Amino acid sequence: MRELRFPKELYLGEQVDAALNVFARFGRLERDEDELTWIVRVHAASAAKERRLAGELANYALGATIRARGER
Amino acid sequence: MSAGVDFAALGLEGLRVDHAAPFRMRRVAEGATVLTALDGRFAILDDDELRAFARGEVEEGSPLFEKLAGANLLADSFDVPAAAEMLRARRSFVGAGPNLHVFVVTLRCNTSCVYCHASRANMDAVHTDMTPEVAEKCVDFALSTTNPSVTIEFQGGEPLVAFDVMKHVIEYALERNANLGKELEFTLVSNLSLMDEEKLAYLIDRRVQICTSIDGPADVHDQMRKLPKAYGESGHALTLEWTRRINERYREMGLDETLYHVEALVTTTRALLPRWKELVDTYVDLGCRALFLRPLDPFGFADKTGDRIDYPREEYLEYYRRAVDYVIELNREGVEILERYAAIFLTKILRGEDPNFLDIRQPAGAGIGQLAYNYDGQIFTCDEGRMLHEMGDDSFRLGDVHTSSYRDVVGHPTVRAVVIAGQLAGLPDCNDCAYQLYCGVPPVHSHKTQGSIFGRMRESTLCQVHKGIQDYLFAKLAEGDAETRAILERWTTIRPREHFLHGA
Amino acid sequence: MSEQILAVPDAIARADMGDGSVELFVDESLYPLEAVYGASFTFLDRCFVFLDRPQPGRLRVILSAKKLGASPEVLREMVGEFANELLACAWREKITERNRATIEAVTMQAIGGAMGPPSLDDLEDFDFTEEPFEDPLGIAMSWEEKYGKKTAPPAATEGDEE
Ligand code: SF4
Ligand code: SF4
Repeated sequence: MRELRFPKELYLGEQVDAALNVFARFGRLERDEDELTWIVRVHAASAAKERRLAGELANYALGATIRARGER
Repeated sequence: MSAGVDFAALGLEGLRVDHAAPFRMRRVAEGATVLTALDGRFAILDDDELRAFARGEVEEGSPLFEKLAGANLLADSFDVPAAAEMLRARRSFVGAGPNLHVFVVTLRCNTSCVYCHASRANMDAVHTDMTPEVAEKCVDFALSTTNPSVTIEFQGGEPLVAFDVMKHVIEYALERNANLGKELEFTLVSNLSLMDEEKLAYLIDRRVQICTSIDGPADVHDQMRKLPKAYGESGHALTLEWTRRINERYREMGLDETLYHVEALVTTTRALLPRWKELVDTYVDLGCRALFLRPLDPFGFADKTGDRIDYPREEYLEYYRRAVDYVIELNREGVEILERYAAIFLTKILRGEDPNFLDIRQPAGAGIGQLAYNYDGQIFTCDEGRMLHEMGDDSFRLGDVHTSSYRDVVGHPTVRAVVIAGQLAGLPDCNDCAYQLYCGVPPVHSHKTQGSIFGRMRESTLCQVHKGIQDYLFAKLAEGDAETRAILERWTTIRPREHFLHGA
Repeated sequence: MSEQILAVPDAIARADMGDGSVELFVDESLYPLEAVYGASFTFLDRCFVFLDRPQPGRLRVILSAKKLGASPEVLREMVGEFANELLACAWREKITERNRATIEAVTMQAIGGAMGPPSLDDLEDFDFTEEPFEDPLGIAMSWEEKYGKKTAPPAATEGDEE
C-alpha cells in the first residue's frame, strides 16, 4: 500500500477525485481526508506497480489542479 | 560583467546613467560594444567612446554625441514619436492574420532522410493522402483568413507523390478565390526526385514557386537524404538536374533570374560542418542567389538520430562564420549570393523593418501568421506543431476542418498562449538582451526542447544560434569596412515576386 | 533514505536513491506558488511530481524518476533543471508584470486581427455567460490567471517596454 497525502491548500479536491476516477481501473484506490489533506491509499499487485500508479495519479491531480486554477 | 562587457577592465566604475535613454548592450568584438535603443536603432562604440558614454562625458555636437543621438540613445534628445513609429514598423505584421497555410497533402515519401522533420510514411501508406473532400475543406478554411494574402505551401511527405491532390487544391483554390480576390500564391516544397516535364509544365503554368533541399556536396547529401536506387543513382544529381532545368525555364520565360529561381535550403548535419566551402560552391555553381544555413531542428526523426548527426552549437557557429565570410568574399568578386539568416536579421537591424519570417519574429507566426493542415484535416498552429502530433504530442492541435470554425481555431487558447510566450519582452534573458527587437523564438521549439513554451534562453540551442549569428553580424559591421557594409545592406532588399501572385 | 549526491545542503534538496527521487525545499518568500506550479507543470511528462508544505512558507517538491533505478546523474540533472525552471518562472512573472501592457496590447491585436469581426452566425452561437479561459497546455497559466479575464487594457504604445 502507498499513501498519498495531498495538502488541501495545494490540490483541488475535485481534481484529486478526477484523478481517482481516471486511475480506478488500474488498482484499488481508497479515498479519505482529514482537516488539511486529501488522502488516497493505493493498492496494486506489486510495490513497483503501486509506485507507478501513485505517481501517475499524483501527476494527474497536480496537472489538473494547475489547469483548473488557470481557468478561474 | 554584463552581456560580455567587463566594466572593471574598461574602467567603467562610477557609471552615470541620467544622460542615457534606456538601452541594452553587448560586447561583440574586442573593442566593440553595441548599444541598442528601445526602438531598435543601434550604435557600435569603441572602448574610449564607451567610457565617455558611461561617465556622461558626451559633449554636445561631438561625433560621439551625433552617433548616440542618431541612435536615440540620449535622454535629452529622446524622440518619443519616432520611437513609437519605429516600433510600429517593426511589428507591422501583427494583426494581419494567417498568411501561410501549410498543406500536408500526403505523408508518403520516396526518400528517407536521417533527420526527416516531417515524419514521413512509406510509399504504400496511401491512407496518408489527403482526399479531395478534405482538400476542399482545407482550402475553404485557408481562404477564410483575415489576411488579404494567402500562400498555400505544399509539404509532405513528398507532395509530388500526391500530385493529383495538389492539382485539385490549386484548381479549387483558384476557382474559389475568383470571387474572394485575395492575393494567392502557391509554393511547393519538394525533393524534386519525382518531377517530370508534364508536372513541371503544370507548375510553371500555375505559377507555383518551387523550393527544395540541397545539403551540399553529393556524398553528404546522398548520405543524409537516402533515395532508393529505383528512383535514380543519386538524389543529389536529380535535385540538381531539376533545379537547373526549372531555373532555365524561368529564364526562357524572360523572368529576372535574380528574383525567379528555385529556393534551396540546407539542413546542417555534422558531416557538413567541415564542408562549408564545398557547400557554398555547390550553391554558387547552381546559380542560386540565396543560401539558408539552417541548423538541425529537434522535430521528427532528427530527435532519434540526433546522436549521429547533431553537434554542439559552437561548432555550428564556427561553420556559419566561415561560410558567410566566404559568401561575403564571393560577393566582393561580383557573385550575387546571400545567406538567408543574415538577410533576415540585417533587414531588422539595418532597415528597421521586419521581413516577416515567421520563425524569427515576435510574436512568432504560430496560429496568427500560419496554420498547418494535416492530410486528415486536423489543424495545427504551425508545421512544427503538426510534426509533434506525428510524434505523439497534440499540444499544438487547434481543431479540424470538419468541425471547427475559423474563429474557434485562431481564437483557440493555445494560440493565445503561444502569442504570449512568443513575445521576448516577457522572457528572462531576452528582456535584457541587446538583440531583443531583432530576434524571435518559436514557442513550439522551446516546448519540444525544454518542456515549456516560454523556454529558458540560457540553455536554449536556438537562442545560442540567434545570439551567435547576430554577434557575428554586428562584429562585421563594427569592422567599419564600407564594402562589407554595402554587401550586407544589399542583402536586405526585399523585392516581391509578382509573377507568382494570383488574383492581385 | 537521504543520500549526499547533490552538492547542496539537505535543507535545500536531498536525494533518495532507493526510491529514485529527490526533494527540493522552496522558500515561498522568494518564489511565489505560481512559479512552483509553473515549473512543476513542465516536469509532469518527465517525472512524478508531488507538492506539499511541511511548514508554513516552505514548499516541498518531490520529483521521482518514472523508472526505478535512476542514476545519481539523472537525479542531479532533475534537481538542477527544476531549479532553473523555477527561477525562470519566478523571474518571468516579474518581467511579465512589468511589460504587461505591451504584451497584452500585442496579444490582443494579433488575435483580434487574425479572428476578424464575428459574423452574424458567430453572434447567434455566442455564449454570453462568462466564458472560462481554457488553457489546455497549462502554459499561459500564471499569466492568464492574473490577466486573462480582464477587459481591454488602456491603449498602450509599444514604447513602454522597459
Ligand atoms: S525530409 Fe522530406 S524528403 Fe526527406 S524523408 Fe522527410 S518528407 Fe521525405
Ligand atoms: S533568444 Fe537569445 S539572442 Fe534572442 S533575444 Fe532572447 S536572449 Fe537574445
